Formats: sequence, C-alpha cells, structure tokens
Amino acid sequence: MIGALISVVGEEGRAPLRRNLFGLLIEAVLMGVGFVLLTPFLRALLEGDMGAAWVWLGAMGGVMVVYTIVRYRTQLDGYHAAVGLARVLFARLGDHIARLPLGWFGAERVGQIGRLTSQGVIDVMGVPAHLLRPVVTALATPATVIILMFLFDWRLAIAALVTAPVAALAYRWAGDLVQRTDKRVDAAAAEAAGRIIEFAQAQAVLRAFGRGGASLGKLDAALTEQHGAGRSQLMTAAQGFASFVFTVQLAFTVILLFGTNLALGGEIEAAELVALLVLSVRYVEPLIGAADLEGALRIARNSLFRMDVLLATEPLPEPESRPETPRRPASADIVFENVGFAYGETPLLTDVSFTAPERAMTAIVGASGSGKTTILRLIARFWDVGAGAARIGGVDVRDMTTEDLMARIAVVFQDVYLFDGTIAENIRLGRPDASYVEIREAARLARVDEIAERLAGGLDARVGEGGSILSGGERQRVSIARAILKDAPIILVDEATSALDPVNEVAVQDGLRALTRNKTLVVVAHRLQTVRAADQILVLGEGRIVEKGSHAELMEANGRYAGFWRERRRAAGWRIGKAASSPATKVALNRKRSISDEGL
Amino acid sequence: MTDRSGAAKRSPMGRLLAPVKARLWFACAVQGLGAAAGVVPFIAVAEIGRVLLTDGPVDEARAWAIAGAAIAALVVRLVCLMAAGALTHLADLDFQLYLRRRIAQRLARAPLGWFDARSAGAVKKALQDDVASLHHLVGHSYTNIVSAVVTPVIAFGYLIWVDWRLALAAGVPVLLGVALYAAQFRSYGEKMDGYNAALGNVNAAAVEFVQGIAVIKTFGQARKAYGRFLERTNTFIAYFWDWVRGLLTLSAASEIVLSPLFSLLMVLTAGLIFVSVGWVAPVDLLAFAVLAPGLSAPFLTLAYAQNEMMLAKGAAERIADLLDAEVLPEPEAPKQPDGSKVVFDNVGFSYDGEMQVLKDIDLVLEPGTATALVGPSGSGKSTLARLLPRFWDAGAGRITIGGVDLREMTLETLYAQVGFVFQHVQLLRTSITENIALGRPGASAPEIEAAARAACIHERILALPRGYASVVDEDARLSGGEAQRVSIARAILADAPILVLDEATAFADPEAEAAIQDALSRLIAGRTLLVIAHRLNTITEVDQICVLDEGRIVERGRHDDLLVKNGLYAKLWAASGETRGAEAAE
Repeated sequence: MIGALISVVGEEGRAPLRRNLFGLLIEAVLMGVGFVLLTPFLRALLEGDMGAAWVWLGAMGGVMVVYTIVRYRTQLDGYHAAVGLARVLFARLGDHIARLPLGWFGAERVGQIGRLTSQGVIDVMGVPAHLLRPVVTALATPATVIILMFLFDWRLAIAALVTAPVAALAYRWAGDLVQRTDKRVDAAAAEAAGRIIEFAQAQAVLRAFGRGGASLGKLDAALTEQHGAGRSQLMTAAQGFASFVFTVQLAFTVILLFGTNLALGGEIEAAELVALLVLSVRYVEPLIGAADLEGALRIARNSLFRMDVLLATEPLPEPESRPETPRRPASADIVFENVGFAYGETPLLTDVSFTAPERAMTAIVGASGSGKTTILRLIARFWDVGAGAARIGGVDVRDMTTEDLMARIAVVFQDVYLFDGTIAENIRLGRPDASYVEIREAARLARVDEIAERLAGGLDARVGEGGSILSGGERQRVSIARAILKDAPIILVDEATSALDPVNEVAVQDGLRALTRNKTLVVVAHRLQTVRAADQILVLGEGRIVEKGSHAELMEANGRYAGFWRERRRAAGWRIGKAASSPATKVALNRKRSISDEGL
Repeated sequence: MTDRSGAAKRSPMGRLLAPVKARLWFACAVQGLGAAAGVVPFIAVAEIGRVLLTDGPVDEARAWAIAGAAIAALVVRLVCLMAAGALTHLADLDFQLYLRRRIAQRLARAPLGWFDARSAGAVKKALQDDVASLHHLVGHSYTNIVSAVVTPVIAFGYLIWVDWRLALAAGVPVLLGVALYAAQFRSYGEKMDGYNAALGNVNAAAVEFVQGIAVIKTFGQARKAYGRFLERTNTFIAYFWDWVRGLLTLSAASEIVLSPLFSLLMVLTAGLIFVSVGWVAPVDLLAFAVLAPGLSAPFLTLAYAQNEMMLAKGAAERIADLLDAEVLPEPEAPKQPDGSKVVFDNVGFSYDGEMQVLKDIDLVLEPGTATALVGPSGSGKSTLARLLPRFWDAGAGRITIGGVDLREMTLETLYAQVGFVFQHVQLLRTSITENIALGRPGASAPEIEAAARAACIHERILALPRGYASVVDEDARLSGGEAQRVSIARAILADAPILVLDEATAFADPEAEAAIQDALSRLIAGRTLLVIAHRLNTITEVDQICVLDEGRIVERGRHDDLLVKNGLYAKLWAASGETRGAEAAE
C-alpha cells in the first residue's frame, strides 16, 4: 500500500510522505512509552512509595507533553502530505491524460477517468490525512509495549511476543480468505450490474415482448447469485476474522494465566503483574481496531491501483524523443503507405495504401466495421499506425509535434462535444485569436446564426453541459462553424449516419460545403451525393482497400462498389407502402427469401 | 399505493429497514451482551490485583476463579461478537437482495417513459451502488453504536462502585474532549457546502477535460484545458487547506484529550491526590488505570457512526424515491378489445404538468391502414407515437383499441395487440434464439428461422460461431444494422396486429439500409401502422399523414392532398426537397 503510494506520487511527492510516516512512528512509540510508565508508577504506588509514584507520574506527564507536540506536528504534516499528494496526483494524472493517444478514450473510459481524477484523488488524500495514523498506532504502540515489557519481566514479554506473529499470520490468512472469494463476488456484481443495465435499457422490449414475468428472470438470477456469492464470502471471511480475534484474545489469556501462576508462586511481584496485565489489555485493543480500517484502506488502494495503471499507459511519443528534429510538411496531400493497424489482437487495417491529393475530395465507403473511421483517426494520430506510415505533405505524422499536426487538420466527427459555455466560445475554440466578426461569419456560413436567433442571448447563449440545449444536428452545425473558423488545409469528416430532420440536414450540407471548399477533404461517406461528388472513392472491405477510383470508373468496373451503389439506390427509393396489403401478400413475402442478408 | 399510506410518516430509512428490523434488534442484543462480557477481563485484572495485594495470605482459589471468569467472558465475547456480526451481515445480504428485487419489481411496472428520462447508469447506481452503500449501516453501524454505549456505561458503573468521586474525575477528560470536538462543527454545514462546491468544480473540470479531450487536442487547446483543470484543483486544494488548517488546533486538541494516554494521566493524577488525602486506597486506583483509558474511545466510534448514518440516509432517500416511482395502474376488471381499431380521443399530454406537449389529439387508425406522423422536431410526434404502447399514459382524453381504453386492459393484452420497432435497438445478452423468441415464448425452431429469414438476417446468424445459439455481445458481435434486423425478426414473430415504427430505423445503418428496409417491408405488411416519419419521401404512399406542430395535429390527409393545401406539410416537403432532389438525380 505504502509502496503503491510512493510509486504513484513519484519523486517529488515522496519526502512529505516519508516525513509524515516517521512522525507517526515516533508518536506511536511515545504513546507506548507513556503506557509502559504505568508499571513503575503502579509498583511505587502499591508499595506505598508516594514520592516515587509522583516522580513516575511526572515522567508520564513529560511524555504526554512531548506526545502532544509531536501529535500536533504530525497532524499538520498529515494535511501537508495530503495536500501535496493531491497536487502531485492532479498534475501527474492531468499531464498524462493530455499526452495519451486520443483513440484510447472510449466512452467507458471517459467516465472512469473523470471519477479517478476527482473522487479517486480525494480517496488517496484520506490516507495521510486520516488513515495512516490509526494504522501506525495499531502496530507500533503494541510493539513498543512488548519490547519495553522485557525491562520488567522477560517471561511475560516473551509470552506476549510469541503470540504476535501468530496474530499477524491469522490476520494475513483472513485477508487471503476474503481475497479468494472476492473473485466470485466481483464476477457476480459485474453480472448483476450488466443485467440491471440491460433491464433498464431494454425495458420497453422486455415488457412488450417478454410477456409476463420473463423480464425479471435473468436479472433475478443474477441478483440471487450475487446474494449467494456474498453469503459464501461471509462464511469464509467469518472463519478468518474469528481466528484473528481468537489469537489476539489468546495472547491476553496466556499472559493472564501465566502471570497469575507466577504471582501466586511468588516469582513476580503482585504490583508488577497487575501493571503488566494492564499493559497487555491495552495492547490487545488497538489490534482489533485495526481490522475495522480495512474498508477505507481498500477503497484508497483500488484508486491507487487504477492510477498506477493509467500512469503506466504509454503516451504517444513526441518527435522530441525521436532522433530527428520535428519536420513541417510542405503541402497538404495525405499518403498512406502500406498501413496496418490493430486494436489489441484484432487486425483492423492491412496494407492500406492510397494518396489523397491536395485540394481534392476522397470518399471512403465500406460496410460498418470495415475500418473507415480508423483511417481518419490515423491521419489525426488518435493512434499510431502499427505498420507502414501515414504522411502529410511528405512528412510522417509521427515526426510532427502534436501542435503542428493539429494546426493542419480540422475534424468534423459524428459525436460532437461542446463545452459548457456560450456558442461563440465554442466556435472560438477553432481559433482563439479570432475576432467577433470572424466568429459571426463562421456562424453564418455554418448556419449557426439561425440557431442563435431562437435562443435568448443569440451567439452568447450558453449551450449547457455537453451542449445539451441543442439538438444533435445543431451541435453538428456548431462544430462545423468551429472548423470553418480554424481554416485548416485538411478537413476530415465522418458523415453522420443518424437521421437529421430536413432543416438540419440541409443546414449541415451547406456548412460542409463552405468548410471544404479548396481543402484536402477525406470523408467517411454515407450519403450518395457525397460519394458521387468525390474525386476519388476508396472502397474498404475486410480491412483492405478493395477498389479505388472515381464513381464513373468504379461503376464501369461493375465490382463491389457498383453493387453497393445499386443497393443504396434501391434503398433511397424505399417507400412505406400502402400497408393495407392483404395477409396473403404477407405470407407470400415471408416465403420469398431471396434477398441477401449482406448490406454490401 | 396502499403500501404507502401507513409508512409515509416514517423516515425513508425506517421504512426501508422494516423487514430486517427484528433481526437487527436481536443482533444488537447479542452485541450488547458481548460488549458487556468484553469489560469483564478489564475488571478481572483490577480484582486479581485486589486479591493479590490484600494483606494476609492470598486467596488463591479466588484469584483463579477471577482469572477463569475473565477467560469465560472472553469466550462469551468472541462468540457474541461473531454471532452478532454474522447476524447483521446475513441480514444485510438478505436486505440487499430484498431491496434490489423490490426496486426491480417496482420499476417493471413504471411507465416505460420513466426509463426514457433516465440513463441506465443511474438505475444501476441506485440498484447496485446505493443499495450497497447501506451495507455499513446494516452490517456495522448499529452494532458499533451498541458497543460504544454499553462498554463505557458498564465500565463507568464499575468505577462508580469502586469510588464515585474518582469516577467523576475520570469522566472529565471525556466531557472536555466532546466539547472540543463539538466546537469543530460549529460552522461545519457552511464549510461542507463550500467544500462540496469546490469538489464539484474539480469533478466538472475533470469530466470536461476528459470528455472534450478530442476537441481539445484537435484544436490545439490541450495546454489551456489542462491549465483550467489544474486551476480548479488548486482552488479545491486551497479550500481544503484553509479549512483543515483553521481547525487544526481544535481537532488536534480534541483528539489528544480523547486519547487513552491523556485519560490515564488525568485519572492517575486525580487518584494520587485522592490517595494522598486518604479518600481512596492505592489498590482502588488499579481499576481506574485499567478502565479509564477506554472511556473516551467509544466517543469517536459514535462520531463515525453518525457520519455513516448521514451517508446512508442519502442513499436511503434515493432508494425510497425509486420505490415510490410512479407505476402504471393495473385495471381491476381487465377488458378484452373487440377488433384492433385504434382511436385517440381528445388526447392531451404533458411531461411536467405545465408544458402541454400534446393537445386535443383526435386520430383514428383503421385496421390495416398506415398513418404517418410528421412535423418539425419538438412537435410531439414521437411522444404521440409512444402513447400507444403506453410509454406514458395520456393526461387528458383516452386512447382505445377495439373500443377498450388502454388503461382498462392488462399489459399482456395491450402488447399482444401493439408491437413497436424504434431506432434504438434493444437486444438482450442471451442467445439469438431467445432474443427472437422473446415475443412468442415456445415458438418452434422453424418459426424462429422463418422470422429471421423474413428479416434478412438468417444467413448472417448461421455465419455466427454457434449459429442461433450464439450469445449477443459474447460470440454474436453484430453491427448496428444486423442487430436492428434481429429486433425486426422478433417483431415479426410476435405478430402484433398494430405496429408503431420509427422510420429512422430504416436508415439507422446506411451500409445495411436496403436489407433493413426489406425486413421492415415484410414486418409492416398487413398491419395497422403508426409511423414516426423523418424523411418525407418514404411516406408519400401512406393512407394518412398527420402533420403536428406544437402538439396539435394541424393538417391531415394524403400526400398529394396536403401538397395542394400548401400548408406546413408543403413547406416541410419543400425544405427537404434540396436533399431529396439530389438523391433522386443520381
């Protein structure tokens, strides 16, 4: 735990932590010494030596004063360490996140990382601020007491000492038992969580189609398994915990019986025995208390572990760390040379080569999952290619700095993210030094001015978190305005697959036309007229380019593209017919099974 | 809501805990016994000292008897603590299962629209995380409180029996510590609000930073956004620092005063003075040396327990809200519809009780006809379509199928009549067979296959690793269009005479558009159809087009008639003409 903490905070965060730990150790030892002074005090008192008793009490008071000073310091140090830790963690995590490949940020990760960089840091802060003290005290104070017991009676000290490793073993064993059952508990919790999500997401279908109680069946089975896993973990953990408490209590029992025996035999003074018995009950207590901290510690440990994993994720190498100095491309053409790429083990692109000429439009078509969007992402270096090279104006994208590369590219993707600010601020992001007039012009070209008209505040209306007050089509228009303002020589567009209402559809098309004029354009195309208008069409299938050429050439070739085109043409002519066709037609249709299952 | 009437007066927590209340009480009693037994060894140490130190011959038998009693008490304590722990934890597990089941059952009767308005993640959080966060309360807090009260009370009682004056002196550090501790909380609420606000800002900055990372980086703003994130975290850190620094003296003082060493020192000082003036015998101090240091420790346990209670209260309130989620009332005497003619009779609807989303809707769907709903976004067409499968109940007026109000038939009857296919595909993580057969449990394999063929997905299913037995999201990895066709196969098999369709389904996956459309054509053939239309060119041949604007049907008729009218429909048609024209020109 401390090891993980020290590895996550890095060099700079280590010193305050070490100092805090050291202070706590001294504090715990002082408390142990204070307790042990009880022995000579009681001996003096019970033997009637009041003078000596006052002296020992004075000594105890002295220890208390030192303890108070140290304690105050360590409390301050603990907060210092917590704050320092937070500062280092926020900075390290934030800095690392900014350097990770963009492709790494999936929807699930975004939520996780958001939590880790806020609540996760708070959890870890709690370690020096609150948790370290009780842990250190629970271990170091009894240790001090046992060691100092040797000063008074070595036999009882040994009796106490031998039980310590047994208690430690029992504690570890209890932890292992819990860990072994954790797997089933975690799996059951994950399954139940999945079924709950399904239950909520698919509720309409479950209810409408799962006539009767079927809808609750799978969820209930998952919940029951979660209950069963919890029960079996409880039974196992109870054994471990019982053994631990039993061992600790046994230590006291041994000292009590052994000591009483010694005292009755006259081998130890009664006063001393009583004092040592007092010590041993005091030493037993904090150990049992330590077990209660386990929960809070586990939460902090999990957060630490996740941070460690995040910080160990490789960021994109910047050209500074490569031998050559960063280079600047001379033109805006894009060349893929035998590019290969895989997500994990699954190869997604193999041997992809093409040139997207400057100021021309290249459209990419292909079945869903064929890797169209990945090509765009490789150009923008969301990921680095696995094999081959992606070049802009003759320069490998890996040889450019992120700033340099991004300055050349504007992207319009399907999922648009707007910041919680005004429309104008969101557009300004395209070029921070743009004047208001330029922003207005970009807004006009992307027909954002029409959206602004209906909002109180116009372009200065706030869009809400993630742009929530705007519809999907409207958000897209804002993102196009942003790209127009940026005025980059290369435009990457992932055309929306989702339905836009006619008004937005037309507005988005107008905006894109304004944006892409005279640019190098690479577009993942879904609309037929976009494909038709392209200077070059790349047809992707199974991760390779299977056909390449203009619309006319590809139609001529009568290959996969021509088939795709015909299918899509047929789809464009689809009508929801007069559904009043007779049941006979329905049966007839059901019998006719000729249509291919494949879209492409 | 008969189950609400009596319980509503009690706090959400009390209501939730009712089913495990008896077990918790029993566990608390056992814990109390254990805590009492836990004090015995401490008393035994003092009493053994008394025996050993009494002048004259030592009463050995008595010494051994006391030691024996101490050991017996330890055994009792161990057994009681383990038993109480097991009782509460078992109660907790049963309680969690019970709560989750009850929430799920309740939600299964909530209006479908309820789920539209909430993310699945929020439901998961309530059912898993909020329920789990009650664990500490049920499993630990109550028994901890019992221990924290019983232990010092018995110890204090014994000390009073030994010497009441010194016992009072032993109580002084506790009172002092509590007073100091309480002083920290004087402006706690206010500070906590500030803390939460600062933390909320960090959260928001983190989410924005991570969610917007693609935009941030592609527009070269990484450094600036990172700076903003750090700035917020610095504000938070500064707030935290000011707070703890301001309270440092108080909090350190209270914890020092409550520490066992301080209690020991105080009581021994008082004791020594008492011995000097002859109020107590030296041997009586033993009891105080053993027991006084433990008097203040439980106070911190109580303080923590209070904190836990606060946290649990928040979770309990959220859970209670879910359990109070509105449910669709079930009819007392369900009726069977006569035929499948659908009538919207003067229907009105509002989500929030203020903004009327639908007003005065009169609409008849004759059996076997197709009706399209069109209108600008926000006109209410999706809401209107969702009223028929009872995502919500109409606020005003009524909707009937075959003459029977939707609210007067069981959900089974309703969904035997009404099927729907929306843009958002919902497949379950189970086999393809089960996914298709959901609508008709007990359907034979050939029937399922026929439905899959009709939905143009049969061959694709055969190509899956285990064919029809493949499990969605495990070995059946389907593209959007393929998943859509499985859901269409399901609707085909379910064979409800009335179908509500979102036309966007037809082009949800452009690469598979034609196949989806073929599947849809087969699904809708012969059924009474209500379709939410986005692309006007797909609905030019339907029997009836209803044009909605601001919640009212402003025009209705066939395509050609509406064009002639030159109203809103004609305008929408013209607006979409640009793209439509381009497509048609190819």
